[in-house]
Amino acid sequence: MGANRLACLVVGAGAMLGAAGVAAGQWRDGAQVYEKVCAHCHEANVGPVLKGRQLPQVYIERVVRHGNRAMPSFRPSEIDDTALAEVAQLIGASAPAVKE
Amino acid sequence: MSSNDRTLPKGVTAADFDKAMREIRAIVGAEHVLVDEEPLAPYNKIMMPVADAQHAPSAAVMPDGVEEIQRIVKVANTYRIPVYPVSTGKNIGYGSAAPVQRGQIVLDLRRMNRILDVDAELCTALVEPGVTYQQLYDYLQENKLPLWFSCPAPSAIAGPVGNMVDRGVGYTPYGEHFMFSCGMEVVLADGEVLRTGMGAMENSNTWQVFKWGYGPTLDGIFTQSNYGIVTKMGMWLMPAPPDFRPFCIQYPNETDITKIVDALRPLRIAMVIPNAVVIAHTLWEAPCTPVKRADYFTGPGAIPDDAVLKIQADHGIGAWNVYAGLYGTKETNDANWKIIEAVAAGTGGTIITEEASRGSQALQYRFDLMKGKPNLGEFGLYNWRGGGGSVWFAPVSQAKGTETLKQMKMAKEILGKYGFDYVGEFIVGWRDMHHVIDLLYDRSDETQTKNAYACYDELLHTFANEGYGMYRASTAFAEKVAATYGPVKRDVEKRLKKALDPNNIIAPGRCGISL
Repeated sequence: MGANRLACLVVGAGAMLGAAGVAAGQWRDGAQVYEKVCAHCHEANVGPVLKGRQLPQVYIERVVRHGNRAMPSFRPSEIDDTALAEVAQLIGASAPAVKE
Repeated sequence: MSSNDRTLPKGVTAADFDKAMREIRAIVGAEHVLVDEEPLAPYNKIMMPVADAQHAPSAAVMPDGVEEIQRIVKVANTYRIPVYPVSTGKNIGYGSAAPVQRGQIVLDLRRMNRILDVDAELCTALVEPGVTYQQLYDYLQENKLPLWFSCPAPSAIAGPVGNMVDRGVGYTPYGEHFMFSCGMEVVLADGEVLRTGMGAMENSNTWQVFKWGYGPTLDGIFTQSNYGIVTKMGMWLMPAPPDFRPFCIQYPNETDITKIVDALRPLRIAMVIPNAVVIAHTLWEAPCTPVKRADYFTGPGAIPDDAVLKIQADHGIGAWNVYAGLYGTKETNDANWKIIEAVAAGTGGTIITEEASRGSQALQYRFDLMKGKPNLGEFGLYNWRGGGGSVWFAPVSQAKGTETLKQMKMAKEILGKYGFDYVGEFIVGWRDMHHVIDLLYDRSDETQTKNAYACYDELLHTFANEGYGMYRASTAFAEKVAATYGPVKRDVEKRLKKALDPNNIIAPGRCGISL
């Protein structure tokens, strides 16, 4: 590798977008939130399957912010309101996961 | 909300609190200050067996940058308002993002999430507190850097700074996270910014490679403490080995723990096995397999031993399940593999290789953790009892077989007395073992919650009487755990607090330290 300093003291999070994916809390879109956060449990036989259940957007948003029993809560600093609305919309409108 | 309903910091008037909040809004922007009950809900979600109200925050403040934090602590000093710093806030089972005491302002550092530097030659990184392990993993992948890090089980949503500051551990050869940190930047209570080690010297380029600097080494006082707010941390990364060979060895009997520990300890000390060996009990494996408790036992009290034996038989789970890995070249791993096979054969264990493990959810997440691949597989534990109650009991043990068996029996007996299951594992450091027990209970059940508190209390005091101290504890038990370490240590901690934070504004009560 030529340059060993890959990201020398980047000052703004925005500058990381190209090289390092998206800084946490500044999500590309709802799909990315689902992939990087939700799917770790909800597509892995840990949390309940969410897709295809027509869950109301407002319900999803509330559970994400408040948590629910073992489900952790997520703060606006982790998932901003816009990204949360997107992921809730995406899940609410999703088709059921295809089972083999 | 009437002013009577508000959660105000102890001894602070509503008028002063409002003034302080106005000043803080001017620093971070109004949208980054939360004071109403509903928006604060995510900061008050706990799994500990105490009332939410005990850990309710007054406000949450989300600064972005060291300078903003410097200005916030000045306001906090003026009004004597305590601030409780959290980074990713996912210290689940140890307190999450909720403040250690009711009425503190959560200083939420998650917006500070920049990966500031990665040096691919020296294998080092410099990160801010809001960086998650998932974010760091994605960065390394996207930049095609053959570097690994060590992460704890809730890795996808947790982060390296918060985990290191709480002295968490992980599963690669770099699993003792504080040991593999190198250099910190800390905002002190008076607003000064300290860089530890070589970072104190202007123009130094050795901050992330030499830990000690000159004079007293200060990094340790900023872990499991409240002497400053860590705003940057250096960490060492591990070159991805050419050959990685994770494995599991299963053992049929609970008493096998003695020979397992005694056989593996020499390999760990000599670093034939370079990572933390995990020895997980059946009931740690079962919920992550996943197996449903209700399919085996629905009665009151702890799950009986015969049901545990049936789970082992039905699902191919050992009484103990040993996880470790070989990290090297094909040649070195081939040589060391022979040693592992001989140890397994000599102790009556059955080896499961990565190839043979395909399809096993429990083994897969372990093998992923051993190469620092973030996941949340271990959250399967929370389906065992259900109800979202979890409090970690984590005494340190010597890495000796007789000691581990003694601790397991003690814990199982006390847990059983209160109707809880022994869900435990041992993590072998070098000469120590972290005995980690997840006291799982249904937090929506008042009796279970009360029993969980009493059970933890008895565990803590019984173990302390035998000379076993905790390596880490939840915020609900910080004071009690600190008390088990005796008065001199606590007095020194108090003197340091007085010197560095005379107004007691940074997380008073954390780890039992307060003025």
